Amino acid sequence: MSGDVLDERELPLLEVRDLRAGYGALEVLRGVELEVLPGELVAVLGPNGAGKTTLLRTISRTATTLRGGTIAFDGHDLARASTERTVRLGCLHVPEGRQLFTDLSVEDNLRLGAYSTDRRTIAADLASVYERFPRLADRHGQIAFSLSGGEQQMLAIGRALMAKPKLLMLDEPSTGLAPQIVEQIFTIVSELTRAGTAVLLVEQNAFLTLAHADRAYVMEGGAIALEGTAAELRADPRVQSIYLGGATD
Amino acid sequence: MMQLIVAGLTVGSGYALVALGIHIILRATRIVNFAQGEFTVVGGLFALTFVQVLHVSTWFALIGASVCGFVLGLVFERLILRPAGRSGETGLTIATIGTVFILLYGHALIPGWGSLPQPLPAFTGDASDVFTLGGVTIGVQSLWVFALLLVALAAMYVFAERTYYGKAIRAAANNPLGARLIGIDVASTRAVSVGIAIALAAYGGTILGPITLVGGAAGVAISIKGFVGAIVGGLESPIGCVAGGLIVGVVEKLLEGRLSYGVADPIVYSLLLLALLFFPQGLFGRRAAVRD
Amino acid sequence: MIARLRADARLLPFLAAIVVVFGLFAAKSATLAQAGTYAAIYAIAAIGLSLLLGNVRQISIGQAGFFGIGAYAVAYCTAVAGWPFWPAAALGVALAAVVGLALGFVALRFTGHYLAMATLAFGLIAVGIFHEAQPLGGAVGISNVPYAQLGGLTLSGYPAYWFAWGVALLAALLTLNLLRGRTGRAFETIRNDELAAEMVGVQTRRYKIVAFAYAGALAGLAGAIYAAYLGIVVPDAVGVPLSIDFLLMVVLGGSGGVSGALIGAALIGFLDIAGHQFENWREVAYGVLVVGVVIGAPGGLVSLLRRAPKSPPRDARLSALAVSRDRRIEAPGDGPPLDVRGVTKRFGGLLALDDVSFVLERGRLTSLIGPNGAGKTTLFNAICGVGRLTGGVVWIGGRQATGWPSHRIAALGVGRTFQNARLFGEMTVLENVTAGTFRTERGSFAADLLGLPATRRAERAALERARATLAELGLEPIAHTYAKDLPFGDRRRVELARAVAAEPWLLLVDEPAAGLNGHERGTLHEDLLRLRDAGTTLLLIEHDMRLVMTLSDRVMVLKFGRMIADGTPAVVRSNPEVIAAYLGTGS
Repeated sequence: MSGDVLDERELPLLEVRDLRAGYGALEVLRGVELEVLPGELVAVLGPNGAGKTTLLRTISRTATTLRGGTIAFDGHDLARASTERTVRLGCLHVPEGRQLFTDLSVEDNLRLGAYSTDRRTIAADLASVYERFPRLADRHGQIAFSLSGGEQQMLAIGRALMAKPKLLMLDEPSTGLAPQIVEQIFTIVSELTRAGTAVLLVEQNAFLTLAHADRAYVMEGGAIALEGTAAELRADPRVQSIYLGGATD
Repeated sequence: MMQLIVAGLTVGSGYALVALGIHIILRATRIVNFAQGEFTVVGGLFALTFVQVLHVSTWFALIGASVCGFVLGLVFERLILRPAGRSGETGLTIATIGTVFILLYGHALIPGWGSLPQPLPAFTGDASDVFTLGGVTIGVQSLWVFALLLVALAAMYVFAERTYYGKAIRAAANNPLGARLIGIDVASTRAVSVGIAIALAAYGGTILGPITLVGGAAGVAISIKGFVGAIVGGLESPIGCVAGGLIVGVVEKLLEGRLSYGVADPIVYSLLLLALLFFPQGLFGRRAAVRD
Repeated sequence: MIARLRADARLLPFLAAIVVVFGLFAAKSATLAQAGTYAAIYAIAAIGLSLLLGNVRQISIGQAGFFGIGAYAVAYCTAVAGWPFWPAAALGVALAAVVGLALGFVALRFTGHYLAMATLAFGLIAVGIFHEAQPLGGAVGISNVPYAQLGGLTLSGYPAYWFAWGVALLAALLTLNLLRGRTGRAFETIRNDELAAEMVGVQTRRYKIVAFAYAGALAGLAGAIYAAYLGIVVPDAVGVPLSIDFLLMVVLGGSGGVSGALIGAALIGFLDIAGHQFENWREVAYGVLVVGVVIGAPGGLVSLLRRAPKSPPRDARLSALAVSRDRRIEAPGDGPPLDVRGVTKRFGGLLALDDVSFVLERGRLTSLIGPNGAGKTTLFNAICGVGRLTGGVVWIGGRQATGWPSHRIAALGVGRTFQNARLFGEMTVLENVTAGTFRTERGSFAADLLGLPATRRAERAALERARATLAELGLEPIAHTYAKDLPFGDRRRVELARAVAAEPWLLLVDEPAAGLNGHERGTLHEDLLRLRDAGTTLLLIEHDMRLVMTLSDRVMVLKFGRMIADGTPAVVRSNPEVIAAYLGTGS
């Protein structure tokens, strides 16, 4: 068979072209280009101040000033959309700091995650989240405030899952967590992608992330400095020099 | 003395509702609404209009006034609170003080609302019906006040704890960013919160209508006593606000009975200052959130 | 002088002229004279509130309490005790000032609506006391208060108009003096950003208390004149409605400065009398105006009158002063400039700093790096007196500085910049940098108030220092731009200029390169090197690794609040624990 090349190339779920954005007068993103295919685990790495968090905020349309470029999600233009619209389209952002509803219970937090979806399936969705995160099931009546750091991160991810996302954007989920918990989270994230949800993962912890991701981008100074498959970047010494400045001895 | 306590709880019910309304608006907008007492007065006047113009019973007037209060609250949020919010906390506080002026003097300009304060018809029977319990004479209307207070509190509880939308509103107040990221329209939940708070004010103004008088310049005093109750009980805690309002009502009546009228008020206000100074989180509050 | 106030000062002669012209018209009409006199009386109190609300951003709905203190003091002393007016008024003002100090002290604990309620409570308590105190006449008050006498002249009726306005304009002048000097600049910094104000050496607590006392004293003065003019003082006249009236005047007229207060007081004073029949409509109109002003013209009417210059005209003399200061900065004593021992900081359950110890060498540039959340800014805060330490001690320049308030540490000779460039937005670049010299200036409230020559000299000296700093950092072209209008790259450099204007021997710089482009980073590199070479000891938090590695004499690495490496850039960069801290380890 001649093999139609076009069939093998899926259309990107998220496509970002020449993105320029920042906060008021401050320009942070200077022409970022990336894409995420359905079901992929794509990592965004880079040192502090490179613009990783700003990138996610710009895609979810929270708090940034978009100056130029395009963001296409599932065929829709996000650049002029509201945050609520991005959620309804299936692009969910789990921010740094998790932003849980600290006064409400675990179950309430999860159920609210389904706010913008068809809530008739809420019971079934809740059950599947509990299956994925048994710790949350144990603590379903507890106030979110009282959970441990790792449990809070799981709750934040679970809440986003209740919205049945096509793309889950995670901002540094490993912050402040012990290594074993971080492992657990990465394992769950990998499972999610195998089940069909694409994940765009921003992280500082380069090695661990590259061990799980399919592809990765390394940002520096508001633009993409390196990109490639996880395997390629694991072997690339330039990654370390971007983080620590200058060539290694 | 029990007599005074009953009287105190009655008027305290009004303060409790004012305090609860202040709490709800505080949660939603992060500021204290100085005009809450004025909205209470206006609410009573709404009810009076329903009774006098539409000739309905006080029961229907209660529902009508609450609905009008809700709508008024939405207007208040959209026209005054939202635009003034851009000027910061100080500006917003001043805007609510401006609202006091508009309501305090403006309500008298509406036909029928400027006449001398008058009572609403009693909920049942006659306004002066009483019954005795253990040597204490209790007005039947007072019982209705307590009962209706409980109804309102129960409704608030059910809404906040047992309905999906109620929890969404609480979530949006608790963490607006988190709420937006799961698709909640935070601006509209804030407006609804204010609407509910003003509806509560109108409700409070109406249930006391048969006993105290509807209309007049009592709004400022009601606001102040509502604040005191909220501070004493804990601005950040709904139960605290309700308890605080009741406490203020009882303290006021007890002091009124013992001391000359003039002294009762400064004592209540000194309570406010002391409470603010030493117990900024109130009786039921969790953490002191008085300074940024 | 603060640029905003320049327009205010220009308006004052016009307003004075209007007062004179009106006064001449009012010779024929007792009603006009009366309205004008009340306007002057209110204006005196409004000026104080304008300073409090506009220049220090402290809201007060209790000013009528001070008005009442002044009024009752005069009423009692003259009508009951037979004193002449002047000592009675002096007593009233002094009392009001003392109570103002007390309220100011209490008010330190509150902000925003809590502050409003606390001042409201004060006002209510004051009225309650006036109402109940028998010596003060209780609910009936004191009547038969005699007119004030000046020489042989009785200050009643028409003469009272000139007397009251004379006092009001004098109060306006004195207040302008205050605002133009070092005190006014301190207020302005507090209004813009308290944390940054502390870090240039402004004792924020002290200045806030002083502002309350001053506003109280002015309100007391107004009350004193009121008592001798009206002849009777009753508790109801000095209650909450009057406090709200004052707030109204200041919000409508415009706060911060004096012209707005005068305009607002005149407006309300006249409308109160002229619109007497339309009381309800008038008050509703006030309410609508207040809301409208808050939404549309937060600066009040006076901001509509001012042709508020976005960037005032350039000062031609500035460019001639490109003097580079050739001096050597020395830390005091012979000990290390900074000695941190066992510093620990806990936030609830979170251990942000864990037994951190290090000693900085004089005149060296040390960088502090580490992944997000490692505790770097927390360490800066700990050194600079922001928040309390859980454990450990900090020695700065040979002094045990643990637990000192920030302004005291700044006064030692320490400068600091913040992660998000905390500039004083409504001050120009030049004013920001002049504020930076605060700790080196000497001044006093009284000297500022009276506009003494010593104050003017100190102001000029501060200005020269600021200009020299601007010249050094190449910032003269933007000297008159308001800080809030600056592009991002310039904000950081202005903050650095402000921090070095007082020539600190220890400088803490928090992420100076964040948001800068390549060219700007190059300039930053040069500026920091120049500072180090002049003898400043520098401690730098930075994420830009190229900058860190090429600039630093020494690098310290913080992770989860613990120091995990400390040495030269080359050593630190190849430390496996450091690499793991940044890049993580493989699974």
